[in-house]
Amino acid sequence: MLRFIAADLRRQWAGALAILLLVALATALGVVVTLQERALRLGSARAADAFDLVVGAPGSETQLVLSSVFLQAAALPLLPGTVLAGLIADPRVAWAAPVGFGDFIEGYPIVGTTPALVEGIGGLAQGRGFARLGEAVIGANVGMRLGDHFHPQHGRVGEPGGTHTEITYHVVGRLPPTGTPWDRAVLVPIETVWLAHHHDEADAAGAAGTNPFLRTGHSDATHEGEAPQADPPEGDVHNDEPLKHEVHSGETHAGDTHVGPTHAGETLEGEAGHPDALDAPIRAESLSDPHAPGVPAIVVKPRSIADAYKLRQAYRTDHTWAVFPGEVLTRLYSTLGDVRLVLSLVASGAQALVGAAILLVVTIHVVQRRRQIGALRALGAPRLAIFAIVWGEVALIATGGLAAGFALGYGGALALSSAFSAASGVSLPVAFVPGDLARLAGLVLAAAIVASLPAVLAYRQSPAAALRG
Amino acid sequence: MPPDTTRSGTTRFLRLRAVEQRFPGLDTPALAIPSLDIAAGEQVAVMGPSGSGKTTLINLLTGLERVGQGSLIWGDTDLATLSEGARDRWRAANVGLVMQDFHLFPGLSALENVLLPQRLARLALPAGARAEAGRLLARVGIERPGQAIETMSRGQMQRVAVARALAVRPAIIVADEPTASLDADSGAAVAQLLLELAGESGATLLVATHDASLVARLPRVLRLESGRLKD
Repeated sequence: MLRFIAADLRRQWAGALAILLLVALATALGVVVTLQERALRLGSARAADAFDLVVGAPGSETQLVLSSVFLQAAALPLLPGTVLAGLIADPRVAWAAPVGFGDFIEGYPIVGTTPALVEGIGGLAQGRGFARLGEAVIGANVGMRLGDHFHPQHGRVGEPGGTHTEITYHVVGRLPPTGTPWDRAVLVPIETVWLAHHHDEADAAGAAGTNPFLRTGHSDATHEGEAPQADPPEGDVHNDEPLKHEVHSGETHAGDTHVGPTHAGETLEGEAGHPDALDAPIRAESLSDPHAPGVPAIVVKPRSIADAYKLRQAYRTDHTWAVFPGEVLTRLYSTLGDVRLVLSLVASGAQALVGAAILLVVTIHVVQRRRQIGALRALGAPRLAIFAIVWGEVALIATGGLAAGFALGYGGALALSSAFSAASGVSLPVAFVPGDLARLAGLVLAAAIVASLPAVLAYRQSPAAALRG
Repeated sequence: MPPDTTRSGTTRFLRLRAVEQRFPGLDTPALAIPSLDIAAGEQVAVMGPSGSGKTTLINLLTGLERVGQGSLIWGDTDLATLSEGARDRWRAANVGLVMQDFHLFPGLSALENVLLPQRLARLALPAGARAEAGRLLARVGIERPGQAIETMSRGQMQRVAVARALAVRPAIIVADEPTASLDADSGAAVAQLLLELAGESGATLLVATHDASLVARLPRVLRLESGRLKD
């Protein structure tokens, strides 16, 4: 019987192959949707792992998380320097580090931060951390080597911008691979970013607006310009009372239109003219300086879960906004889940249509082969054998198609993931879960049941047909 | 090969009584035969224009169709009392069929075609079936049993079909227009083989045909007209 099925399929290999491919493509569609959504969820959750709490200026929470965790370029309002100083001094905080977006180098984002963050996201794989203003630590997938020198550029390659020729970074360390966008980041001291930025500002307004990270605080939009960059009044600053300070600083700045060099910036700029200036060691004190320039986001590692909640509560004010990236992602996932649901429905619809079309084709085929089936019966084949032949052929093609579809979907998801990883740095783990096996089993079962319809039709066909005309 | 005597008498003779076969929507019965007897080993031609009930008679005699009314007894088995499955089993064991369109299955060799009904009817081939199939193919003049069926001439194909019909050593051989789709020479060769092999095995042979030269070689002729036997 198997021999007969094999001969039959071989004889009609083109049709069988076409049906198999249809089944495979329809299945792959659903598999890709499922796998890709899962990969996106796992990948982004993994990327957010190291970031318990992110503090930014009030605005879009999603944007804050996308920018700080996923390093997506966006114009974020800046936080006053006092916030960072307050967080670093806070006893509930294990470590806090700024995420200040600098320029780009060959399309890799330059992130101004502190050694605390380097340690926080997994330490170093090679070399050492930056200790001087002109030193940089690169992510695992950045196409540079230890010892390389580079000048930061405004904007990405191909976008208008200029090169900060006056600043030269020296690569001194490399992070281990993390499967996050930080693999594509170049980490430099935040002070150098301030310096570069400030230098620019003093330079001219010509390059203004090209860098979405840095320009924000300096655009002519009055709201964004007022709060973060300007000097807070000296008298109001208490490092241990950041919140109280915030309330005041907002009020005072409303009237203070002077956006100018800060104390820290002034010092740096003064030194920037000399090549030796970047040789200066980084100073932890400059961060705690309440006069430090603003940063768009601060990554905070609380000492405990309770501290995390307290900190989030404490930093939800008119001028700061604390979020749990995990929470924001969960909200994104639910949106993503809706999208997946829609895509899954579309995929299921496609599968059902393909299934129905195939059923029709097979049924027509069985009817056309009425005489052949009748002849088999006339020659002594039991009805059950006829049923088994037709069922076996349909089930074989459908199961082959389903298996090929899962393989195809897996391959497709892998290809999509690697394309996405190459572009964003977020590695998307494509993986089947036991539930997928159950799904495959369900589909095979459905195919087996569907295959029995034409088989029953063949089973019921009169054997006398073979002898009629 | 001497006639196979192991099953003689039990299946080979036919006793048909008061059979009336009606189809829905038709006033007159498609077939109405009060009485028909065929002796074991007899060779009979069935003639009649199309629509005369020839095909219906063959379908009844081979168990392909259920007997509507009356009794149709082959040896000790009344087909009228058997279920469809039981008739299938009975046919597989007792009837060798040769059809006008051969109904050989492409993609299989001549030998595989001969063995196909037995393969489909049971899980394993009975011992000696392969050797018997080879012997029959040689007997009908097929030199290469492994040859793919679709590469054969029509005359060769019908000879393979004859070998297939005889493979289970049936008590009854039924041929439906076995020569109608062949040229004269091939038809004559197939007719000759049918008569010889039926004679050798002692099987009862029923041939529905329009072929006058074939009818002339069969000792008994049944003529059907409008579902009734004419004599």
